[in-house]
Amino acid sequence: MPLDYKRFNGPEDSVSYKRFTADYLKSYDELHSELIDETGHRKDGRAMDEARPMYVRGNFVSQAKGSSYIEMRGTKVVCSVFDPREIVHQNEFSTVGLLFCEVKFAPFACKRQRQSHVPDSEEKALSVALRKAVGPTVCCQLFANFQIDIFVYIIESDGSCLAAAITAAGLALANAAVPMFDVVTASSVAIIGDKIFIDPTEDEEHLAMISPDTNTNHGVITMARLNGLMQIADFRQIGSLDIECILKVTDILEQECQKVFPKIQKTLVGYVKNGIMEQKRLSEEGKAREAKLKDKMLEWRSSIVNNSV
Amino acid sequence: MAGILLSHTEKVYITHGVKNEYRSDGRSNIDYRPMELETDVVSHASGSARLRLANTDILVGVKTEIDVPKPDKPGLGKIEFFVDCSANATPEFEGRGGEQLANSISNIMLRAYQSAQAFNLKQLCIFEGKQCWKLYIDILILECGGNLCDAVSLAVKAALFNTRIPFVKAALMDGGNVDLQLSDDPFDSKWLDVGSAPLLVTLCRIGEKCVVDPTAEEESCSLVSLIVGVTGNPKYYNDYEDEEELPAFEAKCSVISMHGPGSVSPQNLRDAINQGIIAAVCLDEALGKTLFRERRDTEQFKRHSYGFLK
Amino acid sequence: MDEEGTEKICIPGMRLSTLQGHSSGQGTYVKDGYIFAALSGILKTEEDNKVIKLSVVSLITPSILPKAGDIVTAKVNVVNSRQVQCVILCTGQTILTRPYKGIIKKEDIQLKYKDGIDPYKCFRPGDIVLAKVLPTTELHWYHLSTEDNELGVIIATAEGSPPGVSMIPINWSMMQCPKTLVKELRKVARVVPENINEALLPLHFNQDDESLLLNK
Repeated sequence: MPLDYKRFNGPEDSVSYKRFTADYLKSYDELHSELIDETGHRKDGRAMDEARPMYVRGNFVSQAKGSSYIEMRGTKVVCSVFDPREIVHQNEFSTVGLLFCEVKFAPFACKRQRQSHVPDSEEKALSVALRKAVGPTVCCQLFANFQIDIFVYIIESDGSCLAAAITAAGLALANAAVPMFDVVTASSVAIIGDKIFIDPTEDEEHLAMISPDTNTNHGVITMARLNGLMQIADFRQIGSLDIECILKVTDILEQECQKVFPKIQKTLVGYVKNGIMEQKRLSEEGKAREAKLKDKMLEWRSSIVNNSV
Repeated sequence: MAGILLSHTEKVYITHGVKNEYRSDGRSNIDYRPMELETDVVSHASGSARLRLANTDILVGVKTEIDVPKPDKPGLGKIEFFVDCSANATPEFEGRGGEQLANSISNIMLRAYQSAQAFNLKQLCIFEGKQCWKLYIDILILECGGNLCDAVSLAVKAALFNTRIPFVKAALMDGGNVDLQLSDDPFDSKWLDVGSAPLLVTLCRIGEKCVVDPTAEEESCSLVSLIVGVTGNPKYYNDYEDEEELPAFEAKCSVISMHGPGSVSPQNLRDAINQGIIAAVCLDEALGKTLFRERRDTEQFKRHSYGFLK
Repeated sequence: MDEEGTEKICIPGMRLSTLQGHSSGQGTYVKDGYIFAALSGILKTEEDNKVIKLSVVSLITPSILPKAGDIVTAKVNVVNSRQVQCVILCTGQTILTRPYKGIIKKEDIQLKYKDGIDPYKCFRPGDIVLAKVLPTTELHWYHLSTEDNELGVIIATAEGSPPGVSMIPINWSMMQCPKTLVKELRKVARVVPENINEALLPLHFNQDDESLLLNK
């Protein structure tokens, strides 16, 4: 973990206390058997193909042009989007704009270790992945030579962080009235052997990254999809999977991404409706105030005329 | 990579050709250009390889060091990738210009080698929990002519095939400390088992089809490319006397990633992955046979060493 | 009043119509012969030469930049002998959430007498001006021009006057402060007042001390 030399850091060889708990020493098979119980349900009671319920909200950060908050039980993600600003260190003229994406974990976000303030390689990789996923949606040609900032802050991480970050970024961009081609949604899947875990938690993801001794499939796949245009914006796989498994999972992921879309749609439409009602209310209030002022003016005018007479 | 300017008609010409599985230099969509590979070019590294694929020139050096294994993975060794885009390759890499590209390549290599089915880190263990080997794989991009990921993965696999790990003679426990003894003989070492190491295949989407190993002109016609990492077949990298001794082999994807500002349709994605696996399997076989032949020639002192003179 | 019936709500990526008989306006884009929405907001249709122009009006300022030909409202920052640096605050009718930098070169201030002009006699720091955006020549600076009669200084405060008291134009190159009666040189914009009847009203309403001034 890289150190931030501007802060006071703890002693370098300090180690998390969790390393000395019984949980840490569990073997692969023990962890695997814990994930699914006898009825075929997962640790948190979900079925294998059930995604976690998602809470979606826009206008979360008042200081940002557009923002969103997505919560899927243990995974909580905030995204803010800002207006186009000049590209720093730009040397040559370009006909398209840039997207600057930064994903950051809160230091207390992950359960296994404390995240450092200096971005490590995982955060940098997530930022690149986010940029790849959101890039095809934004109309970059409308802000040539400028960049739009997208900042994602993961408050708590319990699996599917990248998928949540991509969906949050898509919603925040729409909330910021950045011209986009389409709304992007994302979802992820963990595969252990022949079991497919949709919307995996951190434990399931962690186990899916470890390979068992035999040659079985294991891995995590994340997909980002443009819903109106029905195109895949980003597809990321890690682990070791054979081709039939990948093709099957591609279908499953497409359906999952499609299931997320109505929530985003409903949120956006809701905000437009609220905006319309707000505008109407403000204009009515404005008219009422103007009428009052006019009355006062007439009153004063008549009183002046009376006094001067 | 370079800023090739193509007219609209030229782009249409290339796109139509690709649709009919015919490219401007006569190759089919999954054919590679001829490559030159030589291992053991750097004498101070534990293993090295140099690969030339058309205009791309990659040099890989592998250094081995003894390190303490990670506490949560006591029986496994470590592997780390460093990519250096030197300013020799293109002027864009001057200063910190090549940093982003270097990071993305080292990232994808790390993900490709992450699974134990791709590269088994158990072979790097010396004493469980105390000492293990750490491999530093340094990739130097000498010339950049497009299609970097493929060339890098080939060169890395070749360098790993060429890597010798010294035998650790004795490991005494002395009050909790491990005392290692290595012999002075440089040939008293073992080869790494890299049969299943993954090879990356970059597929550029041009129109509705994907091409493998694009030229610079073809790259400028494409908006999005897919990188598929496929595990190798150990059959070509080991001396197996008996064919039936081998377990049945199935090529698996160890990493898939997309690159570029465009998007793909689901059917495109499926076709591209299938294509990538076919191309990777052929490439793996060719690489294995070449490396094996080179090793046999070296053992029989028949090999001519060219280094950088060619 | 059912707002879903009267106004259509769009989100990005929603297909609006085919290209036949329709054209794409602001907030929409064209792909494969169809018009799609690019912003989330209300759909607006306008008749324009027998072609229906579709545009999406967003409830908050869309994240777009001023482009060549727009009329922008800017506040002057630095006045130089060669150019005037200003900060663009609004584009057309929309207020920008993030201000951008603009420059008015000496040659673009007015149409006549371009050589002998002194920018200090046309603008002062703190003035609010209306300007037109010229085609981009530099990366992050917008080139503006105040050549037209309708462009130039709208609101200005005289030096030494209390803040909030804006000067009243006397002619195209001079303004006078109503409180201190100081005259200063500015390139004044010919702005038609919004409510022309107010100019004819016998009484003025002064915002500052809420007293009434009798018009002279």
